[in-house]
Amino acid sequence: MRKVAIVGVGMIPFGRYESESLVEMLAMPALRAMDDAGIGDRAVDALYVGNMAAGMFNHQSAVASALADYLALLPAAADTIENGPASGGSAIKNGLLAVASGYYDLVLVVGGEKMRDVIGPRATDTVATMTHPTAEYIYGVTLPSLAGMFTRLYMEKYGVTERHLAQVAIKNHNNGLLNPYAHIHASITQEGILDSPHSVVNSPIVSDPLRLYDCCPVSDGAAALLLCPAEMVAEFKKPKVVIAGFGQATDTQTVQEREDPTDLKAVRLAAQQAFAMAKQTPRDVDLAELHDAFTILEIAESEHAGFFKKGEGARALEEGRTRIGGDLPINPSGGLKARGHALGGTGVAQVAELVWHLRGEAGQRQVKGAEVGFSLNFGGFGNNVTAFVLRREA
Amino acid sequence: MKELVAYRCKKCGLIMYPKHGRCLRCKAREFEPFEAEGDARLITYTDNQTLPWGIDDRQRFLGIVEFANGVKAMGWLKVATPKLGMKLKPHWEPVRVMGGEDVYGLVLRQGK
Amino acid sequence: MPMDMELEALLRPPASQMPTYPPKWITLATGAKMVVRQLERGDVPTLLNAVRPTMKVARDYYDIVGARLYAELLGWYRYRVKDHYCLAGQVNGALVGIVNGRMYTPEIGMSYHTLAIDRGLRVGAHLFAAKMEYHLEYLGQEEVWITAESPIGFRRWMIEYGLELKEGMQHELGGASFYSLTKAIWHEAKPRLCVGSRPVPRELLAKAELEIRVADEGHILDKILGVKGGD
Repeated sequence: MRKVAIVGVGMIPFGRYESESLVEMLAMPALRAMDDAGIGDRAVDALYVGNMAAGMFNHQSAVASALADYLALLPAAADTIENGPASGGSAIKNGLLAVASGYYDLVLVVGGEKMRDVIGPRATDTVATMTHPTAEYIYGVTLPSLAGMFTRLYMEKYGVTERHLAQVAIKNHNNGLLNPYAHIHASITQEGILDSPHSVVNSPIVSDPLRLYDCCPVSDGAAALLLCPAEMVAEFKKPKVVIAGFGQATDTQTVQEREDPTDLKAVRLAAQQAFAMAKQTPRDVDLAELHDAFTILEIAESEHAGFFKKGEGARALEEGRTRIGGDLPINPSGGLKARGHALGGTGVAQVAELVWHLRGEAGQRQVKGAEVGFSLNFGGFGNNVTAFVLRREA
Repeated sequence: MKELVAYRCKKCGLIMYPKHGRCLRCKAREFEPFEAEGDARLITYTDNQTLPWGIDDRQRFLGIVEFANGVKAMGWLKVATPKLGMKLKPHWEPVRVMGGEDVYGLVLRQGK
Repeated sequence: MPMDMELEALLRPPASQMPTYPPKWITLATGAKMVVRQLERGDVPTLLNAVRPTMKVARDYYDIVGARLYAELLGWYRYRVKDHYCLAGQVNGALVGIVNGRMYTPEIGMSYHTLAIDRGLRVGAHLFAAKMEYHLEYLGQEEVWITAESPIGFRRWMIEYGLELKEGMQHELGGASFYSLTKAIWHEAKPRLCVGSRPVPRELLAKAELEIRVADEGHILDKILGVKGGD
């Protein structure tokens, strides 16, 4: 297998887009990634688009074909990759394997979603279609409610508190303030979302124990990467950032069938695979972009990915170790909480963020001297997870 | 309850709900259907106050229970105050309207 | 133009005595302190400057809400709406939201509109609750009649409060069958949905009363739409 590098990165600010169509929204970061690499008119061999639900949100299918046409990539190969909220991670995986195998040289990976074409409760319902149709969906279960059930057990078992959850939200909102691509640019306070008696309205229960500020926003957003074999990097005059490791694992569709519902087995396995392939350990990682669709997930994933022992993620957070400037900054982008969560866009945005840090291009939120980055994209309620280890090489 | 049918692997005995094409443990393909029976013990729950489009309730308690005979399932808890570990009685009732029709599912209550 | 006061007297509705809404303050998620207080007729020209830009925003029915609220406020200002009131939210003097309604009868309150200018901070939820509090606890009414123009409004008021449907009856704003907030529903919902502290510290109140600051049009549209793009 050939080693694969990322030579181009592009993103658009997450939030809400009205005048652009889905395809136009996906095209913007794609063009930025192509320009970032400086490929000019050189042909792209293949396009992979991570998108979960354009069929439902935007009444559009075959998005990759439409994007290949819009961007005049024809006759490049093009596929839409759907893996729920981990569609972005899976799209990168497909690009990675295509280049690593030697089949394609230049591959464009785009991830994006335009969710705000529908109102909030409809978006919630669309996302809930990932759940089991007869054993879960019919009850009105939502992803926040699966996370709520998980949180209740995690709190009971590991002593995680509402205060810890609020700390994740506050940290990530603060990081988001430094990120021009973030959906939310607002600092929040513990008083405002938890301590004040007024907080019951500011941050109402969404699905207890999770409150509004424990949940990511519903975002439009997109990001793109341009991949090539590592030996071709010199042609693009970009710092060499390689996808050193990748892992992906699945778990039962329903949470009820997991032997231990607090064990995120697919997260553990995906991370282990990614570290094994990269021949690195969690201790080597300088920053991580984790899938904090809910605040509890940042804590739980930081443990399952191997950065902290089970039950110690909350303490690391309390001690400030996961802030920018700590020994393992988590979600310097603001994470899904503040950068936003555009389903198919998220996994690609996470990796784009890592590339900027590894190149030293992350501006005010730059993690100094970062050489190794880790990202985790969580599909379903942890039933299909992708993980990447990125490394800057000489 | 006759409506909630689980599956026991004929080879290794693993209990599964919902149905799978192969046993999650030993990959065998033959199963014995059986009904969830006995009291249901509450494993975890949430107070869902942001229900999806199509359900106009202000809130619903949703939870995962384990029946006395080992079947685990999600259901709608119609109780005033859920508590982890509490024993509940299963009922099969409408839980959602889809395409204008009532869809039935597991509803759990205290007492009979 | 000189006014024919005899005719004007016929057109002006007589005003009822309405107790005032005691101001309160609320800590928002950002930690900012929002003062919620009752505004006076003389404040209307300033409020209209804040409402005017919203009439251009079709998204989430802001244009309908904005146009109607504009007319209601103008009607109040020019003495064409009986027993109208307006409450507003201010952060450091800046106007972040407006709610209004009127006393339809001594027993029935008529809720008109809720306009949040600063979105994403639950300003609308706080102000709607303050409006209900005014009707039921200060005007001493039995119920408030409520209708919604937008799906978001419907979801927020009808479902979050669990309002009672008045099948086949009409609200002053027309529209579909409306909903009623009764005292019983209010007392059940109040702990979840209505917060605030009194009295407002003197300095905080003084800042709010000194000036109602209205952001410029571009800023208001940006806050409401929050739209990105134009790459």
